[in-house]
Amino acid sequence: MLQIKNLSKKFGSKTVLHNISCEIVSGSIGVFLGSSGTGKSTLLRIIAGLQEGDSGELLLNNHALSVQDVGMVFQHFNLFENLTVIENIIFGLHKGRTQMALSHAEQIAHDLLNRYGLKDFAHKFPDELSGGQKQRLALLRTIAQKPAVICFDEPTSALDPLLKTHVAQTLIELSQSGYIIVIATHDIQLVEQLPCIIFLMRDGAIVQSAVSQDFMAHPENYQEIKKFMYHS
Amino acid sequence: MIDFTLIINRLPELLYATGVSLMLAAGALLIGSALGTFLAILETSPSQVARKTIRIYTTILRGTPMLIQIVFIYYIINNWLHFSAFWCALIAIGLNSSAYISQIIKAGIRSISYGQIEAAQTLGIPRKELLKRVILPQAIQTVLPALGNEAITLIKDTSLASMIGVAELFFAGKVIIAQTYDALSVYVIVACIYLTITISLSYALTLLESKLSYHATDKKSF
Repeated sequence: MLQIKNLSKKFGSKTVLHNISCEIVSGSIGVFLGSSGTGKSTLLRIIAGLQEGDSGELLLNNHALSVQDVGMVFQHFNLFENLTVIENIIFGLHKGRTQMALSHAEQIAHDLLNRYGLKDFAHKFPDELSGGQKQRLALLRTIAQKPAVICFDEPTSALDPLLKTHVAQTLIELSQSGYIIVIATHDIQLVEQLPCIIFLMRDGAIVQSAVSQDFMAHPENYQEIKKFMYHS
Repeated sequence: MIDFTLIINRLPELLYATGVSLMLAAGALLIGSALGTFLAILETSPSQVARKTIRIYTTILRGTPMLIQIVFIYYIINNWLHFSAFWCALIAIGLNSSAYISQIIKAGIRSISYGQIEAAQTLGIPRKELLKRVILPQAIQTVLPALGNEAITLIKDTSLASMIGVAELFFAGKVIIAQTYDALSVYVIVACIYLTITISLSYALTLLESKLSYHATDKKSF
């Protein structure tokens, strides 16, 4: 279980995260929902170890969360542009935290590309892929590291509506495989397709949370989320 | 009128001096590229001390004439080091070039999307590996045309070494003029030789640019 306890963050005099506390259990999806500038991306960056919080705790199964527990799929994918598809995966495995032997890294990369339908693109460069393929590669590069938590920053912002359904399906499959999925998004269509815990954020704070099935069954009990989902 | 007989007779001398110019340019370019790349990496590092020191270095070297730098190394620093005029010129031109090359490569490094650096951070890839495999290859490819311009400028700058007696192409031309008083013929052939070198270099750089394109390279190994 991922626990965030009293997390706060300021940039200068501006408070971007105010006393955030929440829990996301293993094999489930937590969605930080909110408009731009509500602090959800900063929260994700702190979870991924790209920034530090000013106060508060991040725990995974009651131990301090370490950067190697977390993988991140970025909004713009952030693929290594001069490396081929397969090299993007191998580079992280061989030279990154895992320091895996090259032959082993190659085998894992081949297996992942086969399984996720990118085998034929193994020696292409990222700028030769479609948006959906780029995102799949960014995901494979992340899951190759076997993190416990995978963060997705606006996973559907660069994709067309058809691909959004694919992404939702992939996110559900990943959570069913045991990953803790953390998403920052303002895309209500995506949230509607996910069995998840919704954390509605405003001005750097969680203003309301709900299990998505409960919300769908009784939206009147969650006025803030309802207002954001249907009137924003 | 241009005296072709004079040109043909003195061509061996001029070609020998061209070799000296090319060696000077190649050596200076080597120093400039290696030191310039190192300075660019340091200048994009988080160390404020390194950044400020390099800024002072580049400001001085870009803000003073190369001729003064050559003379400074030859007459002042060489009092202790006792290098030949050729080596003094090579070092001075190389150091001057490093200041310009560092700024070109720094611009290339800064042009790389920061997202790739963040992605490497989340994967635990050390900065050294990221520089070697991702940042520098992309940065150099981006700035190759500017580096080519710097190399061409540097070839022409080697003529300044004549001021401390290095027997390079321009110096050889001046010696022939002193003997024949035919400045026009000599300067025309000297200019033609410089032009041939710079055109050949431009062509070679265009070829290199297409070779270095990562789309054109074979599968790399780690």
